[in-house]
Amino acid sequence: MTNKHVVRAAIAGVCAAVLALSGCGASNNTANGTANGQSTGATGGTLNVLLSSTEMDLDPAKSQGLPITTNGNIFRRLTAWKITQGGETKVVPDLATTTGEPSDDGKTWTYTLKDGIKFDDGTTITSKDIKYGLERSFADSLTGGLSYHKTLLVGAQDYHGPFDGKHLDSIETPDDKTIVFHLNAPFGDWPWVASLAAFTPVPEGKGPASGYGKTPVASGPYKVESNEAGKQAVYVRNKYWDKKTDPVRTAGPDKIVFKMSQDTSVAAQSIMQGTGEGKNSFLSGFVPPAQLAQAQANPAYQKLLATSGDGALEYLAINTKRVTDLKVRQAIEYAVDKKAYQTASGGEIAGNFATTLITPGIAGREKYDLYKADSTGDVDKAKQLLKEAGQTSPNLKLIATSDQAETASSIQTSLKRAGITVDIQTLNDDVFSDAETNNEGDYDLVIGGWQPDFPSPYANISPLFDSSQIGNGNYNLARYSNPEVDALIKKATETIDQSEAGKIWAETDKKIMADAPVVPLIYSKNTFIHGSNVTNFVIGNFPAYPDYNQVTLASAN
Amino acid sequence: MSEVTAPAGGTKRGSAAARSTATGASADRSPYLRSSIIVGGVIVLLFVALAVFAGPLSAITGNDPYAEHPEALAGSVPAGFGGGISASHWFGVTPLRGVDLFSIVAYGSRISLGIGLFSSVISLVIGVALGLLAGYFQGLADALISRTMDVFFGFPFLIFAIALSVVVPQSFPRPLLLTLVLGFFGWPGIARLVRGQTLTLSKRNFAVASRVMGASPAHVLWHQILPNLMPLLIVNVTLSIPGRIGAEAGLSFLGVGMNPPTPSWGRSISDAVQWALVDPMYLLFPGGALFLLTFGFNLLGDGLSDAIDPRKGVRA
Amino acid sequence: MNILAYIGKRIASSLLVILLITLALFLIFFLLPTNPAQLSCGKPCTPEQLSRVSAFMGTDQPWYIQMGSYIAGIFVGRTFGTGGGAVVCDAPCLGYSFRLNESVSQLIADRFPVTASIAVGAAVLWLIIGVASGVWAALKRDTLVDRTLLGLSVVGVSAPSYLIGLLAVIAFALSIQIFPSGGYVNFSQDPVQWLYHLILPWLVLAILSAAGYTRITRTQMIGELSQDYIRTARSKGVPESVIVFKHALRNAMLPVMTMFGLDLGGLLGGAVLTEKVFSMQGLGALLLDSVSNLDLQVLVGATLFAAVLVIIANLIVDICYSLLDPRVTLGRN
Repeated sequence: MTNKHVVRAAIAGVCAAVLALSGCGASNNTANGTANGQSTGATGGTLNVLLSSTEMDLDPAKSQGLPITTNGNIFRRLTAWKITQGGETKVVPDLATTTGEPSDDGKTWTYTLKDGIKFDDGTTITSKDIKYGLERSFADSLTGGLSYHKTLLVGAQDYHGPFDGKHLDSIETPDDKTIVFHLNAPFGDWPWVASLAAFTPVPEGKGPASGYGKTPVASGPYKVESNEAGKQAVYVRNKYWDKKTDPVRTAGPDKIVFKMSQDTSVAAQSIMQGTGEGKNSFLSGFVPPAQLAQAQANPAYQKLLATSGDGALEYLAINTKRVTDLKVRQAIEYAVDKKAYQTASGGEIAGNFATTLITPGIAGREKYDLYKADSTGDVDKAKQLLKEAGQTSPNLKLIATSDQAETASSIQTSLKRAGITVDIQTLNDDVFSDAETNNEGDYDLVIGGWQPDFPSPYANISPLFDSSQIGNGNYNLARYSNPEVDALIKKATETIDQSEAGKIWAETDKKIMADAPVVPLIYSKNTFIHGSNVTNFVIGNFPAYPDYNQVTLASAN
Repeated sequence: MSEVTAPAGGTKRGSAAARSTATGASADRSPYLRSSIIVGGVIVLLFVALAVFAGPLSAITGNDPYAEHPEALAGSVPAGFGGGISASHWFGVTPLRGVDLFSIVAYGSRISLGIGLFSSVISLVIGVALGLLAGYFQGLADALISRTMDVFFGFPFLIFAIALSVVVPQSFPRPLLLTLVLGFFGWPGIARLVRGQTLTLSKRNFAVASRVMGASPAHVLWHQILPNLMPLLIVNVTLSIPGRIGAEAGLSFLGVGMNPPTPSWGRSISDAVQWALVDPMYLLFPGGALFLLTFGFNLLGDGLSDAIDPRKGVRA
Repeated sequence: MNILAYIGKRIASSLLVILLITLALFLIFFLLPTNPAQLSCGKPCTPEQLSRVSAFMGTDQPWYIQMGSYIAGIFVGRTFGTGGGAVVCDAPCLGYSFRLNESVSQLIADRFPVTASIAVGAAVLWLIIGVASGVWAALKRDTLVDRTLLGLSVVGVSAPSYLIGLLAVIAFALSIQIFPSGGYVNFSQDPVQWLYHLILPWLVLAILSAAGYTRITRTQMIGELSQDYIRTARSKGVPESVIVFKHALRNAMLPVMTMFGLDLGGLLGGAVLTEKVFSMQGLGALLLDSVSNLDLQVLVGATLFAAVLVIIANLIVDICYSLLDPRVTLGRN
């Protein structure tokens, strides 16, 4: 069930199932970050991560997790994310020697593996292990993970995994050190895709069709000692991991214990009080409002908080299939009171006002504001636009989860000022996520939130505005379809030169906003809490989550 | 109720009472039980008044359960003593949005009482009708009805109610849905009781005499058996209401009952839990109201079951 | 023999009950406006991918086929998918959770000890507290003791367990920190921690549930003590303790044990609220999770398990009752 702590993440409807674990949700850097961020921690000790989820399925084929959270420390991939406090997140080589060599105009990507990379049983990781891991992700029993590679690799549509002895020919392994990918179209962001969990090596024959997620074979600095649903998962050191080969993982603590099915309020409380394990723990989810208020009021607790910078885009999607008049949509752009929305979300700490679709911290973003107005909106302009459209008092249906009750009513109130009546229909979480992503689209308005899966405008724009992403469980919530935009997205995606691509993305961003399919509301910030002995709690510009690969203890306990 | 496993308390209590030879209350009345009618009655009446006049009472201070009062907050926490208690907010305000807590409790009593009472009526109608049928006609009717009751007794009510809340379209009003669910699952306890009593009563001289004189079954059931059952039914229904109120609150607590923004005690309790250390009054008022109302009904039911001695009622 | 025929009849009707419950659950989920396969589709999700997942999980079939395969699975086991990538669930297969990668029988086996620990411990406590205070109240009838106990019992019956549980967590776990705020430790792993984590839930459940037992025990005891045979025994000079405990209490316990059996049976199927308040991962939490994740197979499997427990409890109670009390004819109320 949805607890209060996942409120924001639930808005980012994307993440329903894997929330706290994957760290999929909303936003990134911190006020007191430098103090925490750059100090050198001790080596040793036991770090506790408190999770509200009840189980940890670590099967890389099924993971939607960020590469820097729960499975970052046990799984290495071809590439990794280099995260610095408040800095831009970069893609760097991990198991491979480069982030990928494109050829054939970006349709072929080649990687060479490093020397000295080993599994937790001491065997050397080969390119075949990576291929096998990827092939597993196509098995019908192992669906549910991030599937960017599934639409890109040649021949993947008809491939059902390696368990019947069949192989995916578009992944070539000419020798143990080389792996070559053949894509059906050029894809400039492939180095980012290669950092996702499906690119984790799995030794052939050791990753069965079910049950692998409990204690999978590790390639990172830690291996899974035990993993008991509802209780805890324990990571201990993998002695075969060689620090020299790894540019991103610091592997400070001797042991990392993930404590499951924790009540977030209680967990935040114990971290603040610092009793027992509290001072060596951090909460994987966001700090609940009550504990946030409590911590902000007390200087001793305040320094345990870490707030991200501008993160996930929260937006009001206008169903363009039903609200077809551009003037009406533009009127909504002006009528929305972003200030009231921010207040209802918890005030300034909840996030800054948004105007663009590409979020801050992502390369290629250009700041602009097509609908300039006060943060409280421009009611007169909205009224005028409605008048021009000949619809002075439209009636719109807003669907919301019960957790969105407060933000939804703020939208309702602000649109009322311009004469727009909004009926809020509160839906159960699972019904809601179906209602917003099914093929019918029976709503006029819905509040969405989107944290890209990797820091590229592609992951920002394509899932939300490409016409292929309407319905069928996808997140083009505005049901926006513009052939010109589709063409721009395609062009930008296929551009391998990233600064060139960035320009096209910025153009796409503006082009979309001119059609007013969504009202950008805020770039939400996430606030986390960690114990007094927890250090190197780094939150980069992207994603709005701490980098588990760097968290250490200040002194080994 | 320890756990909301039965919607109306009817299952557990009904079965135990029906099996027991002595039917409920002690033989003679104690002063304790007489005073419990008064105390319980007063509590229940107070809540009825609160529910009926929720609007005007909230309006005295110019409040309603939806409006936000950011001026009553210091940051996100209510400003001032006792969760923001003041002349304009008798019970203080909620954290984050500053909604008047008295209005929430007052309007919430409508939901609790409304669902409790109306679902009882539904259970009563179904339970009495089926109980009379089974007890009077016996044979096939009895077998069918008794088996159906078994299904209901074995049915995991809570899970079913949770599943239903997901399935039923959201356009369907939640209060009505909860009333129907609680009403529909609360009848077997009553039916079992009525069936048992009807079995006994229909063999009594007066019923047999009526039948011999050619009275129709409907006449016998309506004029002779039902009036004799009334006292028992009143007690049973009164004692089942706390269970129903608790079930609504429990479902809302689990997040599958009333949807926001409709005020509901159970939902307020679940919202207030994480604030308990920061703003304990937020938990205290809706929690206290829930406890007090169920307490009132239990006291009243106890007193009534003693005042209207069931055995005496049956013999009359 | 009479008893055996009766048991046979009850088991037959119990099977019918279980079938009807299964039917109801499948119907409900068939009516659900959502496709459970969507949760396993991955991101981004293509229509082809979605239909692949639906076919694998069997959710592309009409509900009666799904129900048929489910019921068949209980007897002959099930296989999802084909070839090397198939997932096999051996008979008796109560379903398979693709979300948790575990057969439902295994999930129940994992979770049942948690619920059983809560339920059995609390039940023993509430029976002792309830019966003791009920007897005491009956013996001190209409005195201050009786009135206090009765008053307390009304309070106990009226207080929602989750509210009291929450208050207990806030008071004893967060404020003064003498008990853990929740969680569960396996008995085999650390019996002391097991006990330590269970004390608070036990006490909360037991004290509140005991109220009902106090009331019924008191009523029954008063009824028994006014019976003729007690008066006869007293006039014959039988010691009061023998009268109270050997004669009156023994007879008074019949309805108490009835209630106890049913309560315990129900609680063993999942202590939903208690588990939620104390963050314990028992059957109740499993059920609640399965609903919010549309995990139909887990929902049906765990619900059936719970229903079977209730039915068995009913059966045991009925049989014990008829054995102990010759006044009651089997199968009649």
